[in-house]
Amino acid sequence: MAEEIRLAQPKEYYRAFLEKEVRPDDRELGEFRPTVLNIGCVSTAEGSSLVKLGNTTVMCGIKAEVAEPRYGRPTEGYIVPNVELSPLSSPNFRPGPPPEQAQVLSQNMVDFLDTSQCIKLDSLCISSGKLVWVLYIDLVCLDYDGNVMDACTLALMAALKNTSLPVVTVDEDTGDVKTHLSTHSSLSVDSCPVSTTFIVFDNTVLLVDPTREEELLATGAVTVVTEGDNLCSVYKPGGSPLTDEQVEMCVERAFVRGKEATALITDTLCSIDR
Amino acid sequence: MPTDTRRIQGPETSNSPYDFCPTATSDPALLEKQRLDGRDSAQMRPLFLRAGVISQARGSAYIEMNQTKAICAVYGPREVQRREDFSLKGQLTCQFRFATFASQHRRQHQQGNQEKDLSVQMLEALEPAVCLHKYPKSQINVYVTVLQHDGSVLSAGILCASLALASAGVEMYDLVIASSAAMYNDLTISDPTVQEEQAVLSRVGKGSSGMLTVAFMPSINQVSAITSDGGIQFDTLNKTVRTVIDNCQKLYPVLQQTLVKHIEEKKKGISSK
Amino acid sequence: MADVNLSEAEKTFILHSVQDNFRDDGRSCEDFRHMEIETGLISNTNGSARVRLASTDVLVGVKVQLSPVDPENPEVGRMEFFLDCSANATPEFEGRGGEELASEITALLTRAYGCPSTMDYPSLCVLPGQQCWLLYVDILLLECGGNLFDAMSLAVKAALFNTKVPNVTMTKDEGGIELDVSDDPYDFKRLDVTGAPLVVTVNKIGHFHVVDASEKEEACSLARIMLGVTQTGTITAMKKEGSGSLDADSISDMMESAKKVGVLLNKSLLKALGEEEEQGTEAVGFLR
Repeated sequence: MAEEIRLAQPKEYYRAFLEKEVRPDDRELGEFRPTVLNIGCVSTAEGSSLVKLGNTTVMCGIKAEVAEPRYGRPTEGYIVPNVELSPLSSPNFRPGPPPEQAQVLSQNMVDFLDTSQCIKLDSLCISSGKLVWVLYIDLVCLDYDGNVMDACTLALMAALKNTSLPVVTVDEDTGDVKTHLSTHSSLSVDSCPVSTTFIVFDNTVLLVDPTREEELLATGAVTVVTEGDNLCSVYKPGGSPLTDEQVEMCVERAFVRGKEATALITDTLCSIDR
Repeated sequence: MPTDTRRIQGPETSNSPYDFCPTATSDPALLEKQRLDGRDSAQMRPLFLRAGVISQARGSAYIEMNQTKAICAVYGPREVQRREDFSLKGQLTCQFRFATFASQHRRQHQQGNQEKDLSVQMLEALEPAVCLHKYPKSQINVYVTVLQHDGSVLSAGILCASLALASAGVEMYDLVIASSAAMYNDLTISDPTVQEEQAVLSRVGKGSSGMLTVAFMPSINQVSAITSDGGIQFDTLNKTVRTVIDNCQKLYPVLQQTLVKHIEEKKKGISSK
Repeated sequence: MADVNLSEAEKTFILHSVQDNFRDDGRSCEDFRHMEIETGLISNTNGSARVRLASTDVLVGVKVQLSPVDPENPEVGRMEFFLDCSANATPEFEGRGGEELASEITALLTRAYGCPSTMDYPSLCVLPGQQCWLLYVDILLLECGGNLFDAMSLAVKAALFNTKVPNVTMTKDEGGIELDVSDDPYDFKRLDVTGAPLVVTVNKIGHFHVVDASEKEEACSLARIMLGVTQTGTITAMKKEGSGSLDADSISDMMESAKKVGVLLNKSLLKALGEEEEQGTEAVGFLR
């Protein structure tokens, strides 16, 4: 019976649960799904990671290439993040050019990296005015069950911390480029920003880490990015308005999540080194 | 190249750092002595398979052959999207993709010629196995993404897709089992890695050197696809076809067991609810 | 490929004729249909050929162009295939209708010619690591009458045989090496096509198989294998096509047939091309 109501009247079904402050998958309103992190799973990539948030799965692979720097910015490298919502991940995505949602997510990744300044573009310089690194960061969604944003940012940070680049030198006189495969250097990642996404249900109730079903019922959403004890950005693309207290609550929850996620990345990295 | 406004763009040209160092060209003659990963020439890599890995898909599977990793999802039977594609017989579509980071050199986002060719070959291999007449007016979509490419990707893709189709409950005559082999003179190397593939395909001269992939349905003893590459003597090819079919027979129970395990887990999931 | 509607009775008739090794046009299972080959008929290409196999009509032009080498293979020349399925051949090719078939055929040809021993690719490299000849092989399908793959591979090989690559002189400048392509029409070199493959398609009809199937016979066949065969019997590419599957034993019989026919076909093609060149027959063109 319950399954029929869930299909026919999903809102009513959710209201009945939320009245008792619990979600249909046994979670509390402010509880994340179990997060699984795997780092360095693709050896052909310079850096890689796989994140599972409940069922949602995102894989991140970083390929590094070299290029001439932009005119007027001789020491700055490039970071090119793209999110791919593969037709594998959901019946709603079909092969072809990226849907609008993927374009928005890709832009979110650019903003996420820009505002948090976790990678200094100067640190990607090989030889000033001649050669810089280009980091192609590709995030592939393999299973779409909501909250791809948080899965992407977590995968992105984990892969960046895992990235190691071969040493490349440029001969000052001839301009010849040489790659030394025997020595590698890891990327200097200055900080570890973490995003936390909430949705608003019925204009009032806030749910963290929404599933796909919850996303469909949402009347609004907000993403808070934190870094340690600092607030980086709050992204609220329209939807129902929030009160001061609600925003404050979101930020507080985001700080807790930020610490958990940072610890998860550090722990996983440690376990790989060993 | 036209700019893609739907994606974040990097610089106009960039080069792989691996273009600037001496490439480790592996001489196929070395294969006669020992394989790079220490395997016997007839030895296949261990197969790791799991069905039901994607929650949103009707059927799905993941395959790992050491460093070759691929994932597959099956959607449908569902409505045909374009009206001109309408037909009374069901349709099967296959899309084979490499992740951009799957190889040592970065791949582009748009589907390349190699991927299109592999998509067609996968379709050829799977179509004879699926009872399409049971799905009139509908479409079954198979999507395969190779996450890491270390040789024998076509057979990995077919194995993965066949398991995903079965786990989706699509009616089939049999599971499709695929296996690859590389040939060098009289030597047959089962389940080659990407380095071994490149070594045999780049060789010039007399004698055989090439690749062969066969897709086979063991319980009805039918070959659903066969494809070869490189210059191969007729007798060597004929002999290798037999070897590869034998290898397929060996893989058959592995797929069957994975499928049974998947169904048991599903049953448990339902009864515990 | 163009759809042919056959009744069950017609299909049975074809099936039986194949079984008796006496096909509906009088051929045996391993016979080709009548074919006409003509080379050098388009003056603004470096090499051209036209093949008419019964009612299948194919025109191939080869153009050569100096271009940068492929960074992954810096010491060899390159070859690219393009196929245009003209809407003249069948209305289905209108718009983008022929694209799928085109990509399938070009993929097989690329694969068959991809084997390094098929052509003398190193000789097509002008300046190792920098410049090489890029051979554009453009195929135009004018009429469909069955067995397109084989007809196209015949035309491609004939056109490559006919191709004249201009000689290049290199002069060393202070800035680097300058390439000068000869504009004398008699200052050229020919390509060696003895190792070039031909595609042979073997169609499974009932329990037997035939080569060079007509459109009607193709409609009766659910599975076929295609092999790139060289004059020495080396297989440079193989693929299976069609929605059916094949018995493991019959594949080896089909391969055997394809190889036998392929070797003979290669020999007679080279002989015919050699004769044509010796006689210097006047061009007939397509409008006979």
